Amino acid sequence: MTLETVHTVIDDIGALLLFTMILIVAAGQIYRAIYAVAAQSLLIAIAGAVLATSTGNRDLWVIAGITLAVKAIILPWVLHRVVQRMDVRREVEPVIPISATLVLAVVIVVASFQLSASLGSVRQAITGNALPVGIALTLTGVLVMATRKTALTQMVGLFASENGIFFTAMAVTQGMPLIIEIGVILDVILAALVMTIMVLRVRSTVDADIADLDRLRG
Amino acid sequence: MTGDRPLALVVLEMFLLVLLGPLFTGIIQKMKARLQCRQGAGILQPYRDLTKLFQKGAVQADTTSGFFRSIPVLVLAATVSAGALVPVVRMGPPAFPLGDAVMLLGLFALARFLTAVGALDAGGAFGGMGASREMTVAPLVEPVLMMVVFSTALAAGTTELGALAAHRGTSWFLAWGAADFLGFAAMLVLLPAETGRIPVDNPDTHLELTMLHEGMLLEHSGPGLGCMVLASHTRQIVTLGLVAALFFPAGPAGGPGATGVLLGAGSFAGKILVLAIYLALVESSYAKLRLFRVPQYLGVGFVCALVALALRIL
Repeated sequence: MTLETVHTVIDDIGALLLFTMILIVAAGQIYRAIYAVAAQSLLIAIAGAVLATSTGNRDLWVIAGITLAVKAIILPWVLHRVVQRMDVRREVEPVIPISATLVLAVVIVVASFQLSASLGSVRQAITGNALPVGIALTLTGVLVMATRKTALTQMVGLFASENGIFFTAMAVTQGMPLIIEIGVILDVILAALVMTIMVLRVRSTVDADIADLDRLRG
Repeated sequence: MTGDRPLALVVLEMFLLVLLGPLFTGIIQKMKARLQCRQGAGILQPYRDLTKLFQKGAVQADTTSGFFRSIPVLVLAATVSAGALVPVVRMGPPAFPLGDAVMLLGLFALARFLTAVGALDAGGAFGGMGASREMTVAPLVEPVLMMVVFSTALAAGTTELGALAAHRGTSWFLAWGAADFLGFAAMLVLLPAETGRIPVDNPDTHLELTMLHEGMLLEHSGPGLGCMVLASHTRQIVTLGLVAALFFPAGPAGGPGATGVLLGAGSFAGKILVLAIYLALVESSYAKLRLFRVPQYLGVGFVCALVALALRIL
């Protein structure tokens, strides 16, 4: 693949990543958000494979494979099971209306493109639009975490945010050392497991949710 | 002024669109029926309905003003002239001054406005309700459609649809820019709303409080209703043609001569058919949204279009 094709493909994947992010923000049902985050991870795995072929970096193949297995299949499956165990369907409960969140998401996307345009020569070294897209994904993931009341939706936001960081790291560095990437992925798995256990435990013992915990006093 | 599309071709395309409009509605209805395990009416049913309507006499309410009678004709005229602006069998700029995409959207808005005025004129409760709902949804749909058009027009440097399609040339998915994906996503969200289909409107019911477009047609009858129905068929195929021109202009390049025209028409029909299948699938797999949820649904399209525009500019 020539460098130019890689640029276009990464740009296109970036656009699709933004689209999945919009779907996550707009999702009114938690299932849709989970499917969207799975699609997002799949796209990141594809981006990893594309970068692997273009740079010849064999580690990137491993990383793309792990991303596909862990983030596109296992994590959504775990989330799906938790949703089934808790027997909730519309567990999104935004703090501010979803349409307002969508507007904020647009502001974030435009701002991150604007900001990374000011980087000038630094940006030239980075594949296509990967940097602004990555920043936008990360910040929008944080936005989802901040504007949802329930733990599960916040987890979806965390995974989306993590996807953004992953995408940026992959595109900016042309593949980080394998050990770091594997460490990051292990952290994500661990975080997901701990959070699901927490959610189920809290739910089964005191029937409360994250939103009820803000009045805790020590 | 030299161009690729002479007057005769544009007129031919316009008539083709008007003639084929009901056929595609019929195809969508047939596919929907099959997806719901029904036999369904034949794909020529919309033509039969239209002939029946045009043979009937017209009845109107006593409260209507003299303007009411001319509304169906005006709506049909606006929609059909919008159809002239869409390239069908051949891409490239027209050989004479014709409108552009902005004009097309303007004509659509005019048709929509006249329909709503007609519904209000008769003074019926359903008409008024349908009109007010249509006018609630329209400001959400039209800007997004405009932004999608602009996001592609920015790349081509023109808003004339034929030239826009020609600029895109034979590029398929692989040559799509990042903004095109998001623009197309916005268009897919928007299509059911613009063609009056299920997540937003329900084209099958006449007496349900959820309806938008059908509610406004209740006061029309006979040939007038026929004009309105034909206009909505035409509007649908013109919208699909607009999507095809913006995103899939490729196809057997319509060369000069009759074979070129036939090839172009064939590939156009294929593209419209794909979009029609999409509409039928969406209609069969989703439930109608509550009216107050519609802004959120269209908000997704709005955000996609805005991001597409941002990607194009920044």
